[in-house]
Parts: sequence; C-alpha cells; structure tokens
Amino acid sequence: METRGEPQLANRMSQGDSNPAAVPHAAEDIQGDDRWMSQHNRFVLDCKDKEPDVLFVGDSMVQLLQQYEIWRELFSPLHALNFGIGGDTTAHVLWRLKNGELENIKPKVIVVWVGTNNHENTAEEVAGGIEAIVRLINTQQPQAKIIVLGLLPRGEKPNPLRQKNAKVNQLLKASLPKLTSVQLLDISGGFVHSDGAISCHDMFDFLHLTGGGYAKICKPLHELIMQLLEETPEEKQAALA
Amino acid sequence: MNLTGTDQGQYIPLGEGATTRQKNGASRTMSNRDKNPASTPTPVIDLQGDGRWLALHHRFIADSKDKEPEVLFIGDALVQLLHQFEIWRELFSPLHALNFGIGGDETQHVLWRLHHGELQHIRPKIVVVWVGTNNQGHTAEQVAGGIEAIIHLLQQQQPQARVVVLGLLPRGQYPNPLRERNKQVNELLEASLSQLPHVCFLDADPGFVHSDGAISHHDMYDYLHLSRHGYARLCPCLHMLLLRLLTECQRMGS
Repeated sequence: METRGEPQLANRMSQGDSNPAAVPHAAEDIQGDDRWMSQHNRFVLDCKDKEPDVLFVGDSMVQLLQQYEIWRELFSPLHALNFGIGGDTTAHVLWRLKNGELENIKPKVIVVWVGTNNHENTAEEVAGGIEAIVRLINTQQPQAKIIVLGLLPRGEKPNPLRQKNAKVNQLLKASLPKLTSVQLLDISGGFVHSDGAISCHDMFDFLHLTGGGYAKICKPLHELIMQLLEETPEEKQAALA
Repeated sequence: MNLTGTDQGQYIPLGEGATTRQKNGASRTMSNRDKNPASTPTPVIDLQGDGRWLALHHRFIADSKDKEPEVLFIGDALVQLLHQFEIWRELFSPLHALNFGIGGDETQHVLWRLHHGELQHIRPKIVVVWVGTNNQGHTAEQVAGGIEAIIHLLQQQQPQARVVVLGLLPRGQYPNPLRERNKQVNELLEASLSQLPHVCFLDADPGFVHSDGAISHHDMYDYLHLSRHGYARLCPCLHMLLLRLLTECQRMGS
C-alpha cells in the first residue's frame, strides 16, 4: 500500500524539518529523580564496556522484555544489550542514539521497537520518526542489519490507537523496503481475538506484554535474528542467485 | 464526565500510564480531606484514547464478583508488576491473593477505585496497600493523608480486614528530592498508623540504597520499578508478615 501522492512529504517526515517525531529530543525530568538520563548514561557506559552482537532499542516493550526469563533464554546467549526506556517516543530514541548509545559498539543486528507512545503525532509522523531512526543507524552502524518491530494493538477493546498503530505498520511496510539493511517484522497478529478483545493474559494492562505475550513475539523474532546473524555475504549472494 | 472518549484532549507527558489530576473532584462534604488532592477520590482520565485504566478497573470489579481472595493487593505499578513475576506464584498465589495494581496510580486514583466497586463482593482477611510514589506535585503530608484516607475507607468497608501499608521505596539512581519526600511519607505513616488497631506499617526496603547513595539497576531496572531480583529481596519479609497475620486470624476464628 503506497503512501498517498507525495514522495517529498514522506522524505520530509523522516528528515525532521516538518516532523516533530523525527526531531531528536531528550526527555524532560518532570518527576525530579532524573531517571531517564541515568538510564541513558548507563547505556552509554555499557557501550564502552561491552561488545554486543545484537542491540535492542526502544520503549518499555523493549525494556520489560529484559525482565522476563525469556530474555535470558533467547537473547543473552546472542550477546544482546537492551537499551529500552519506558515511555520513550521516536524522538527520545533518536536523541539517545545520537548522543552516545551507538558509540564504541559494532552490533550485527539492531532491533528497533518504538512508536506506541507517540501520542502527539499522527501515524505518518510516527512512521517518519522510525524511518529517521533507521537512517541514523545506517549512517552510524552501516554493518548492522535492522529489524523494525511493528507496533502492537493496544487497549482491551477496539479503539483509535489500534487503528493508528496498524496504520504506522502499513506505512512502514511500504517505506522500509526503500531503505537500507532493514526489514519490518510485524507480529501484531494473534493478539486480537475474534470478538475484538485483547486478553490480559497476553497484555496485563492491555499494553504491556506478559511472559506469555512475549513468548508469542520472541519466537519469530529470535528466528529472524538467528537468520541474520548467520547470513554471510556469500550466503546472501547465493540466496539472491 | 467523559472518561473513555476518543477525544484525546491535551497530552500531558507524564510517561506511560499518563494520569492527570482533576481540579474539582469529589463532594465538598468532607472538611479537611477535600483540600488534599491526594485524598480526594479521582478517576484517571483517558488521555491516550484506549480506555485502559477503566478496562482494568472493570476487570477488577469482575474479579471481585468471581473470586474469594483472602489477601488483596492494591496500588500502583509496584503492585501490578509483582504479579508478572514467578515470585507471585510462589509466595502469594498460595495465600489466595488478588492483585489490583495499576501502573501510574496515585493515592486518589486508588481511593476512587475502592469507592467504585473493587471492594464489593469480597471479604479478604488482609489488604496490602502500596501506593504514593507516583503522587506528583503533592507534599509528603498530602501523600500520607491520601494513604490514611485509603485506610479509613478500608476500615469502613472491610472492617474484618487487617491492613498492611507498605512504605514507599527510595527511587532515582542518586539522592534526589523524591527520596526525601518518600522517606517523609514513611515517617508520617509510621507515626499515625501506630495508633490504629489492625493496621501495620511495613517498611520492606531491604537496603536498596548503597553506601555511596546509589541504587542499582539490578534491583530497580529503571531506578523506580523493581526487577525480579529486587522483588526477591523485598518480598520475603512481606510474605512472613502475611503468614503471621493469617495465622492470627485463624486463631481468632475470623
């Protein structure tokens, strides 16, 4: 499905001059305990100390994943680092990646999962923000293969945010093939039941995943990461032939 | 009052589970309490547009109708997240516990939920209350007042229940004003609750703040929410208290 009409608009959306979701923006410390900056600083330190083959970056969907056993089972063995921060929008992730979280490391795969918290932005702007993140990673980590995870549906019953998130995924499906070294993994199917409801067994607050919810996502994600890690340039050539 | 409308209104960037404090909340018949926003029952307004807070509240009401908990946990994300870890199944499910935690909730939100159905149809022996750290912009006195209002409500609606109030944990990687405020709330509560029968104040902090003043991300992955390791350090003493109280209940035949 193509975005309507204007390639220039799509370009501007990921270049930030008319898209706030694509403008790097640090989170303000409203609460007064500076936790966002503390987490960012810790990630920058991790970059100096560690040599991840896989990097996960995004919002609480990424962050919470590390709290469950499944992280230790599937992703720790791949030397994965988790740079998720709850509440983050695309603008926050952009700022973090521009300010140290991509330095001193050379991961083979980078998983990007962000956008569901971009409440002030349209679906087009959110997609543009995600594209801006991909472009930034292309520049700073040209060797990395990028997996963009599709936004999940949310809320117990049908609501506008579900449509918005689905629209973001549609837009990305069209635009990501035009960018470099990136693919969309849309695992949003399987959460909405035939009656339109999402179960709290999958999402304990109709947004954040339970262990069972993560298991649904992580199986295909893990498979894809393994595939990308194992791909050598020769294999890739052979596959294309 | 449109609580679940599709109109997202103005977004207030308070982080996930965005909440807002209403300016004109409950009735004016309470004299001191309505001057304290932390003790004025207030629902969370659906700013994001997916109605999740009310959906959770209704699910809890449905749980109240279906289930017969002996222990009820109510509060914010620190309660809610506990339910996601294995430790819940190990320590608290066997006690027939229900979990009514909602991330982001402040004292006035919990008060509202308790006023609007979450206590109906159940008769727990113990209610564990853990809320207050999210009360943005409220003083320590206000937060303590909010928690006290919750206790008063519980004493009215669940007179048979013992109440366990968990102290607020320190937060932030380094010393900061919120740590001071949470500490003050705990001090105020420890003093005021000691007067009340069947109410325990438990400061379950196992020593999260190290000698250099820092909190480790091994205990609190974002310097606020507990990791599995953090819960493993904190829960045993709560569990022991609950066992003790349940045994006392049994002995007294209640």
